[in-house]
Amino acid sequence: MMSLYVPGQSWLHRCPAGVKFVLLCVISAVLLAMHDLWLLGLAFVATLMLYASLGPQGVRQVSALKPLAFLLVILFLFHLMTGDWQQGLRLILHLGSMVLLANLVTITTRLDDMMAALRPIFQPIRFLGLSPSVPALAVALVIRFVPELLRVYNALAEAYRAKTGARGSYRLIAPFMIQALAMSENVAEALSARGGASGFEPAGSARDKNAVGGAAMKEEIPS
Amino acid sequence: MGFWKRKTMAKTGQSGLDLTSQPYAVFEDVGLEMNQTEILQGVSLTLSEQRIGIVGLNGSGKSSLVRLLNGLRLPSTGSLKVFGQPVGAVRGQLPRHVGFVFQNPDHQAIFPTVEEEVAFGLTQLGNSKEDARVAARALLRRYGVEALADKPFTGLSEGQKQLVCILSVLVMDPEILILDEPMSSLDGLATRRIAALLRDLSQKLVMISHDLSLIDGFDRILWMEGGRLKMDGPPDAVLPAYERDINLKAQAAAADQASAGPL
Amino acid sequence: MTDRSVVQIAFYAALIAALGLLPPIAVPFLSGVPITAQTLGVMLAGVMLGPIRGVLAVLLFMFIVALGAPLLSGGRGGLGVFAGPTVGFFVGWPFGVLVTGMIMKATKSWPVWLAAVVAACVGCIGVIYLFGVPGVTLITGVPIDKVLIGTAAFIPGDLIKAAIAGLVAQTVSRGLPGALLSRA
Ligand SMILES: Nc1ncnc2c1ncn2[C@@H]1O[C@H](COP(=O)(O)OP(=O)(O)OP(=O)(O)O)[C@@H](O)[C@H]1O
Ligand SMILES: [Mg+2]
Repeated sequence: MMSLYVPGQSWLHRCPAGVKFVLLCVISAVLLAMHDLWLLGLAFVATLMLYASLGPQGVRQVSALKPLAFLLVILFLFHLMTGDWQQGLRLILHLGSMVLLANLVTITTRLDDMMAALRPIFQPIRFLGLSPSVPALAVALVIRFVPELLRVYNALAEAYRAKTGARGSYRLIAPFMIQALAMSENVAEALSARGGASGFEPAGSARDKNAVGGAAMKEEIPS
Repeated sequence: MGFWKRKTMAKTGQSGLDLTSQPYAVFEDVGLEMNQTEILQGVSLTLSEQRIGIVGLNGSGKSSLVRLLNGLRLPSTGSLKVFGQPVGAVRGQLPRHVGFVFQNPDHQAIFPTVEEEVAFGLTQLGNSKEDARVAARALLRRYGVEALADKPFTGLSEGQKQLVCILSVLVMDPEILILDEPMSSLDGLATRRIAALLRDLSQKLVMISHDLSLIDGFDRILWMEGGRLKMDGPPDAVLPAYERDINLKAQAAAADQASAGPL
Repeated sequence: MTDRSVVQIAFYAALIAALGLLPPIAVPFLSGVPITAQTLGVMLAGVMLGPIRGVLAVLLFMFIVALGAPLLSGGRGGLGVFAGPTVGFFVGWPFGVLVTGMIMKATKSWPVWLAAVVAACVGCIGVIYLFGVPGVTLITGVPIDKVLIGTAAFIPGDLIKAAIAGLVAQTVSRGLPGALLSRA
């Protein structure tokens, strides 16, 4: 539910996430270095064709540009007024292709696969004495918390309306925070009760002494 | 259970835990203090029975007592040994042998989907993600709820949530299962189904309950009051005494209110 | 890092997301102009968690957005977010939160609400605009003064959010003192 991923079987879906990610970085860098209007126009058309290669469903995804459209028009008008319409067009083509290309990777890659592809960037946290599974745990916790937070807020807003007849107000945010924080404290305890964020480690490790709550962050750096 | 691969070290008492020790827990004059408030005082107990129920009024210290058993809190005074070892020394190892199910399922789920939630305990024990996923599904199937596997946890009914919470702890195959009012948000039918599930478990149980009918078949009942152990014995001795006490307190409160006049 | 820290970091990342998903809240002082509360979540991460955990919470949120979750207000997300003209504001978030958290730590003798409002204004408005405005100029070629005029419209809303952050921090510090980790 919480992903822009569009399920499908296209060649881009089958392409490994890591490859797509690296290609995106390379192509974006090349685009940034390009200034020729014709070349940029060609790149933009090529990007649109990539979307078209995904079928009608893909073409519909070009709408990812919509939130940006207003801003792009303003920018174009600005450059038009300052007498440099070419600069304006270049900007639209630049931003349009880069946003669309990046979005193309997003809509054809499952969240899990993207996570797995980006895992290497988390290797350094080993040096902090943390298990490399901690980032994945944190991501899962966020995805679990978001609907729970909305539920807590909606329950409060309902109670508020029942008493005052008014719609949600900024005044609900502080009580919302207190209720939601209490929920998160309980989840932290439940996590400890099932072995903690880094999982079980062989006996005798530093973790044994301060695995559950309480201990300061620094204490866990292995000697 | 134990039909999946687990790390060979998982069950051996590598931290000096003697998992067959009888009694499994020994409290000696245990006190607990938090934020300068005394929560438990002078609790001495040896626990070895298969099923132990805990009763007591709100705030009497039941939850605090059971939190000591798997190291969520450490005693401030006295000594507590679980599986023959002082809890302070084996705190990191205890959760795998002493499972804990909390009162409110919404406050204990860690993962967005049911399958991830159940599989987590197994990856904690060192199993691969894939093995854990397969085993989690097998467990869900065993309890007839495989269809829930891909559902978001937030979308389940209360009974389903609590079942998933219990399974997500059972999957680690703990020696002892602690349940802190697990049925309090369940309807009558869900309560009975969970009670039946618990009846068939091989684990030793320690369960807090305000519904006395759920624990009257247990081996032993502890009655907590004001942070102390008020009574300890078989259900047919403790539960009637506890009920009498509640009735007396209710009458006294009613009399107070009557003498104070209308609100 | 304790289990509690991990959960708190995830909590504030989720809060930033959830506040962006709430229907925009009408603010009476602004003649009912609706503002989205997402950056209030960013301010609260710095104010409540302090610099280190606050920055981690924001980075976690940004990471999940990059993975493809449509959690930026308006339902935006994915890698495309990092290619847009306003990416500077987004990139400024962790720096803003770092400064916010450091101010909270440095002003422990002040009343919570005052420290929170100052920290949120300097860190989550000042520093974030410091990244965002030149960012727009760099990407679009529009001169800085023109960009400033264009973004000025958002400043009153941001100031109100800083005030709400102060109110929230003050209330939480009374109701749940342990949760104000920046002052612990
Ligand atoms: N973190 C804490 N700090 C201070 N006091 C606490 C804390 N947790 C619990 N207490 C207090 O300890 C006492 C016992 O609490 P506990 O939760 O163990 O009671 P309980 O018997 O489980 O009650 P209930 O039936 O309501 O769940 C209560 O008076 C409570 O206010
Ligand atoms: Mg309790």
